[in-house]
Amino acid sequence: MTLIDNTQLALERAISGASMRQSVIANNLANAETPGFRRMDVDFHDTLAQAMQSADSATIEATSFTPTQGSTSMRADGNGVDVDTESATMAKNGLEYEALVSVAKARIQIFQSAMGVG
Amino acid sequence: MGLFDAIDISGSGLSAERLRMDVTAENLANAQTTRGPNGGPYQRKEVVLQTAQPNGFGTQLASAMGQVPGAGAAQAPGGVQAAQIVTDTSAPKQVYDPGHPDANAQGYVLMPNVNPVTEMVDLIASSRSYEANVTAMQTAKSMFSKTFDLLR
Repeated sequence: MTLIDNTQLALERAISGASMRQSVIANNLANAETPGFRRMDVDFHDTLAQAMQSADSATIEATSFTPTQGSTSMRADGNGVDVDTESATMAKNGLEYEALVSVAKARIQIFQSAMGVG
Repeated sequence: MGLFDAIDISGSGLSAERLRMDVTAENLANAQTTRGPNGGPYQRKEVVLQTAQPNGFGTQLASAMGQVPGAGAAQAPGGVQAAQIVTDTSAPKQVYDPGHPDANAQGYVLMPNVNPVTEMVDLIASSRSYEANVTAMQTAKSMFSKTFDLLR
């Protein structure tokens, strides 16, 4: 087992994905009153799950995420943002991010203990 | 995508909503103004919002260093901005008030096309949007401070 294993790499990519998702949701909320704006989202779970199936550290490390655009709109001005849904998604994403960071930190502390610097 | 993009985006939302509130307040303040800037009654104004292109430090640095934006960069989130403030050119209200200094020969005064109910609804909408942006900014802030804990 190498020092930085696939799980640690995947955690790092997931943190990056959740951070990107936060930006995208913030953008949705900022554009909640922009006519014709369609909501965007980042499905980093699926992208990362596919990369992890390869079990190749280089593939996992190089995983990049792309925002996708929704196509639905419930309003006359063509805007597709529902502020309640966005708020819920953002709260969920924030908690997920903190969970990911906690796990990453715990694993780093294990390394540090093993190295005798913790 | 930089670390503080989410905060910048929420910031753009805050200033856009604040501008909408300013314009709504101006409309309400001038609801009885019969002498507007063009001589006639005041005409209500409205802010047109549009999606902004990312233009933060990270984007500028990447373009200055000649980096080609990757796939999906065209739809990278950049927040919101006010495109323009348009004047509502709908007809002014006519109120019969012969004693008014601005009354015409028939005794009618042209009053601004401001409906206080519409303005109050707009005010609530922009206030709620403002709060949503503040919440998004707080979430981003707590996420990033959690990340900085990694370094401790």
